[in-house]
Amino acid sequence: VGQRAMAAYLTHQQRVLRLYKKALRHLESWCIYRDKYRYFAVLLRDRFDKNKDVKDMVKATQLLRAGEEEFWANQHPQPYIFPDSPGGTSYERYECYKIPEWCLDFWHPSEKAMYPDYFAKREQWKKLQRESWEKEIKQLEEETPADGPKTEALPPARKEGHLPPLWWQYVTRPREIPM
Amino acid sequence: MEHTLLLNTSVLLTLMIILTPILLPLTSKNFQNSPTTITHTVKTAFLMSLVPTTLFMYSGSESITSHLEWKFTTNFKIPLSFKMDQYSLMFLPIALFVTWSILQFATWYMSTEPHITKFFSYLLTFLIAMLTLTTANNMFLLFIGWEGVGIMSFLLIGWWQGRAEANTAALQAVLYNRIGDIGLILSMTWLALTMNTWEIQQAFSHTQAPTLPLLGLILAATGKSAQFGLHPWLPAAMEGPTPVSALLHSSTMVVAGIFLLIRTHPLLASNQAALTLCLCLGALSTLFAATCALTQNDIKKIIAFSTSSQLGLMMVTIGLNLPQLAFLHISTHAFFKAMLFLCSGSIIHNLNGEQDIRKMGSMQKILPTTTSCLTIGNLALMGTPFLAGFFSKDPIIENLNTSYLNTWALLLTLMATSFTATYSLRMTVLVQTGSTRMSSTTLTNENNQAIINPITRLALGSITAGLLITSYTLPTKTPPMTMPMSTKTAALLVTILGIALALELSNMTHMLTHPKQNTPLNFSSSLGYFNPLTHRLSSTNLLHTGQKIASHLIDLSWYKKMGPEGLANLQLMAAKTSINLHTGLIKTYLESFALSILIIILSLH
Repeated sequence: VGQRAMAAYLTHQQRVLRLYKKALRHLESWCIYRDKYRYFAVLLRDRFDKNKDVKDMVKATQLLRAGEEEFWANQHPQPYIFPDSPGGTSYERYECYKIPEWCLDFWHPSEKAMYPDYFAKREQWKKLQRESWEKEIKQLEEETPADGPKTEALPPARKEGHLPPLWWQYVTRPREIPM
Repeated sequence: MEHTLLLNTSVLLTLMIILTPILLPLTSKNFQNSPTTITHTVKTAFLMSLVPTTLFMYSGSESITSHLEWKFTTNFKIPLSFKMDQYSLMFLPIALFVTWSILQFATWYMSTEPHITKFFSYLLTFLIAMLTLTTANNMFLLFIGWEGVGIMSFLLIGWWQGRAEANTAALQAVLYNRIGDIGLILSMTWLALTMNTWEIQQAFSHTQAPTLPLLGLILAATGKSAQFGLHPWLPAAMEGPTPVSALLHSSTMVVAGIFLLIRTHPLLASNQAALTLCLCLGALSTLFAATCALTQNDIKKIIAFSTSSQLGLMMVTIGLNLPQLAFLHISTHAFFKAMLFLCSGSIIHNLNGEQDIRKMGSMQKILPTTTSCLTIGNLALMGTPFLAGFFSKDPIIENLNTSYLNTWALLLTLMATSFTATYSLRMTVLVQTGSTRMSSTTLTNENNQAIINPITRLALGSITAGLLITSYTLPTKTPPMTMPMSTKTAALLVTILGIALALELSNMTHMLTHPKQNTPLNFSSSLGYFNPLTHRLSSTNLLHTGQKIASHLIDLSWYKKMGPEGLANLQLMAAKTSINLHTGLIKTYLESFALSILIIILSLH
């Protein structure tokens, strides 16, 4: 709601904002103490704000390019990466415990008998999934444009009583920290 | 006489106690391992191993058990011969003590892990392999232990196998260790060919050895103990959980290479070239690792490089022909390094996985016990007088100063000692002091017996171990007694210099100058550019050569140049040279006839 779909290129505003955030994060990696960081962050913000109202796109693009080069020269060799972000220390750490839900179908009946109501309820959900699969595929085929989908976002359910397409994958996704 | 029986019995009993959690589930159906049973097993084994150690200290009795053989087939048998001399008898209780503390800590650290019993069994298997390595009297048994610790290291570093970096780090460890194994197998082959035995008694009583097998042993130690050249796997091994780093990559596995050199020191003692190589390699490793540790921001990496640096120092001691002092450093180092890792594990878990020291601060107020023990560990590491590190580090520096060996190695080692103080103080200041830089909503709780007990036990060990071990073991070589005051206090002076440097640099970080990249920072941060240079250049060259061989050698050369195309080229060349003769003039043809008839007449003549 109110979100633009991703295009194949970045707008100037997006690029400037990305440069600003990258610069701030690397500044945070350089200036460890908070007061020193705040001092230099305010100076950096002022440098960005001075050129905020440049209307000439050529000049603005040149300024952006100069900014990117200055960033590259001054970046931190070991920037601070949050532990769960890509490249962080605990990224994908629990990936080996994220088992897909279809493995439950391969349990031995004696093991399944240990949780009878769970598996009974699961059979109902699977029946629902089988019934709504055709309708989801039909909706996706209707809504995808002829030369391939433009965006990765899935559409919501359009008709009364239908479920959103590919809901089963979302509902049965593994937990973030599967413990 | 009765000492020997008691010694042998208690040692074998200790080793059997360790094997129980592996063997019992195989024999009885109802027995289930659990983390607490494994911890208690190792604790029992530690208490049991104090018996032979005290026996050794008071009566000097050593023991060698030979020719128990485990026959697999007629030709293939594993000779189970154990050597209980001062090295293995001292190492046994220390390794068991450190492992007990780490296992107790791991019951808290890995409590949310689904396969925690498997983790503990892996650690136990590693311990068995390590003890096999240290008590082995036969090179084959040592090799079994050597490979065993390598494999367990691979399995434990890649414990979280869903993570790509953990898998590459585990592979890195295995491959670098493999390169070292080439050296070990080379030396074992030489031993088998010349001495016809692999028993340490028979092989190493011979005092002269050519340089090649010694180079093989040094290569093995370089691979296993992460000396410069084969070192990148040790910082990468920090991908494993913290108990793994504490046990394997600080106290026990990485000292296996140095232990090998200690066991084989009779061969090394006579060969001055090999000793000099050890000295220079060790000095280079210790300085390089200390330089890299200066700019690291991940707390585990700082401690990993610190381990690498201390291993270089142990190699320097081997190069000075002082194996007993190297072993003393191994023993004291085990205590405070394991404690440093456990303290860092406590901090990391309490901060919900945060490992970057730029986001820690004022831990003294938040986690008092942990940070006090961190400080004790750092002081012991720096060689503070009369803590554990002092009794091993100071004699090494004194011996280095008063020997007539390589001055360059001396300088490097002294610089590395001062850098040790610098990065330890940097870590302490950024982690413990100042105002907090972590998120204020994290709840921290260190008030758990499973954290406090191991860390304080190891702290007690770090303070008293040096004193205890030196008081109860006799030195085999006389330490240098007389030296000028400046030489005697050299280690202390450079440490104080390092502390002053660290304090000055931390003052500079508070001043309002914008920090920038500069060449020394880049060198240190990217670990000396070693990783990309070796990992990328050599493998791309190898792959390119392989591609050239596959495409050019077979396809181009054999099928084309050697066969039809080559023949055609030869023909063409011959035709081009003789084309001038085909002029169409009769005189030229008559001349060629005459020439050929003349040649035939002359040759038949």
